[in-house]
Amino acid sequence: MMRILTGNEAIAQAVKLSKVKVSAIYPITPQTGIIEELARLKSEGEIDAEIIRVESEHSAMAATLGAALAGVRVFTATGSQGLFYMHEMVWWTAGTRIPVVMVVGSRALGPPWNLWNEHTDFMNERDSGWLMAYASTPQEAFDLVVQAFRISEDDRVFLPMMVGMDGFILSHSKTNVYLPTQEEVDSFLPPRRQPYIIDPQEAVGMGNIFPPLEYMKLRQSIDSSIKSSVEVIKEVGIEYNKKVSPIINYSTLNTTYRLEDADYAVVLMGAWAGDAMEAIDELRRKGINIGLLRIRYVRPWADDEVISALKDKKAVLVVDRAASLGRAGPLYMEVASTTHLDQMENVITGIGGVSIGKEEFIKMFSEFVEEAKRGKANGVKWFYPQEVEKVELRVPKDLE
Amino acid sequence: MSGTSACPGCPENMAMRMLGMGLGKDIALIVVAGCSSVIQGLAPKNSYNYPVVNIAFAAGPATASGMARAYKARNRNVVPVVWAGDGGTADIGFASLSGAAERNEDIIYVVVDNEAYMNTGGHKSGSTPLGAYTLTTPEGKKQNKKNLPFIMIEHNIPYVATASVGYPHDYIEKLRKAKQISGFRYIHVLTPDPYGWMFDPSRTAEVAKLAVQTCYWPLFEYENGKLKISDESLHCLDKRTRRPLRDFLSVQGRFKRITEEEVKMLENYIDSLWEKLMKLYENQS
Repeated sequence: MMRILTGNEAIAQAVKLSKVKVSAIYPITPQTGIIEELARLKSEGEIDAEIIRVESEHSAMAATLGAALAGVRVFTATGSQGLFYMHEMVWWTAGTRIPVVMVVGSRALGPPWNLWNEHTDFMNERDSGWLMAYASTPQEAFDLVVQAFRISEDDRVFLPMMVGMDGFILSHSKTNVYLPTQEEVDSFLPPRRQPYIIDPQEAVGMGNIFPPLEYMKLRQSIDSSIKSSVEVIKEVGIEYNKKVSPIINYSTLNTTYRLEDADYAVVLMGAWAGDAMEAIDELRRKGINIGLLRIRYVRPWADDEVISALKDKKAVLVVDRAASLGRAGPLYMEVASTTHLDQMENVITGIGGVSIGKEEFIKMFSEFVEEAKRGKANGVKWFYPQEVEKVELRVPKDLE
Repeated sequence: MSGTSACPGCPENMAMRMLGMGLGKDIALIVVAGCSSVIQGLAPKNSYNYPVVNIAFAAGPATASGMARAYKARNRNVVPVVWAGDGGTADIGFASLSGAAERNEDIIYVVVDNEAYMNTGGHKSGSTPLGAYTLTTPEGKKQNKKNLPFIMIEHNIPYVATASVGYPHDYIEKLRKAKQISGFRYIHVLTPDPYGWMFDPSRTAEVAKLAVQTCYWPLFEYENGKLKISDESLHCLDKRTRRPLRDFLSVQGRFKRITEEEVKMLENYIDSLWEKLMKLYENQS
């Protein structure tokens, strides 16, 4: 059934259809729509999940993990400051190897206060041991959440998974979303599986001190499971397409657009992929041979896909909506550590909600191609959509 | 409790042994960061004969909340029991504790109070008393102990009790009673630490008794809005029958350099504690 839904509403429907049993909720813009919708579904008897209205995000993840340890399917959502406040428990959860699913509605970090979108919060968790997918449409956010339960609970994975989406751009925009039936989701998503349950029947202990060697082996086992989850994700994606919805192709982790015959490649993730594709169409009409690699999974990082997509390109431009301040964009660092081309450029833009659309991409991509033709498409740049005066020392006091 | 790596004279091990006597089966322990994270011993073995979730410092009550809801969803009759120190309760875990209490989660919370961060070596917590030496208050703490049991009473939860490892029967009875009640149950156990408090490890139980006899640590229960002073503390209701506070202070090295003025301040604090208790006690009868 097609419905007109915001990203937040679509995710709440995914949680409902996935038969989540416990959800710990705490408000933060822009994901609040998800938890409001879950609370409404609960009060109207549409879901039978226990809703825990916790007092912080740190507790949201702790309660979510507690419920998961005790044997049920769980969900929570956060973003921005909330994700950072939760950070300790995000790592703790990965260490337990217990399946958990979380949505991150991306938003910039203060100070100064900023409600708008960027990817820094999400990218900050890439060392945590979670699987991490990033959506580009409300439909994809819905699909990835349903798949996340299946992937996270696969016995070859047994790791938590987060699904990111751009705050406001996806969380608050209404679009057509295909909602499968309960039967279709049931045929795809088996009952809850997890490596152990904390219950007096099992008398399992979790998390007391391991000697250094055993600890190191545990950490490596997370690393290996993330790497080998590439195959699981493809397998699950193909089955999702077959049993639940064929709308978006999930047989690969990442997707490409007009890339195969392109000389120049752009790499990015998230909602602005739509604007980037329109810009590519426009440039193609002008005879500029450019294409797109859209990253959908940050963890696992699909080396093979990235290498084969970019190997014969004259130059690559990685566009980051996040920055490792003083260094480069995190996506760029991922790509640059995967494939080694003579010309690889990084643009950091869209920070704090700076609006980047088709026209801005046309300008940015054209400049990149011009530089590449001169052999100069390298380094890290901050791109502004309009002329800005020189950025000097700034502090977050009121703007003059 | 075999294979535990606790220090000699450890009051936390005493409290844990009694926990088993009081609560029996069908519980799951949530242990927040502290001595008890270490006392369990090295994985894959564990000296606690319970399912144990070790969890980050501030996360105990929230984790237990999630577990309680999951057991409910699975129709399992299991009580999550948080085991936390005074730092994990009065300081870093306080928001999580207060939130879970306000939601009246169906869990038991046990705080083993040795009045400092003893696992890190003996550092001041919100539960350290005035005048006490710790490694971060070498001049002696200048503020009174945070009154956690009263703060928990103000959360309108079904059961609040205090106990001391010096009086096992009283503590075990309170645990048994707590298990029969549903909702949020808070039990605060004083656990004198020979190393942090600086007394001989053979005297743990004795010091735990002195705390009660001198009325420094009142034993009581607060159930459904009713306060009951425990038998061991009834003598404190009359100031004339209280054992002098100096009997408690003088056996501990941590009060070695306490000033006369500070002793007076501590005595005043204890008086005010009992005035509050008596007010609660008189108002109900």
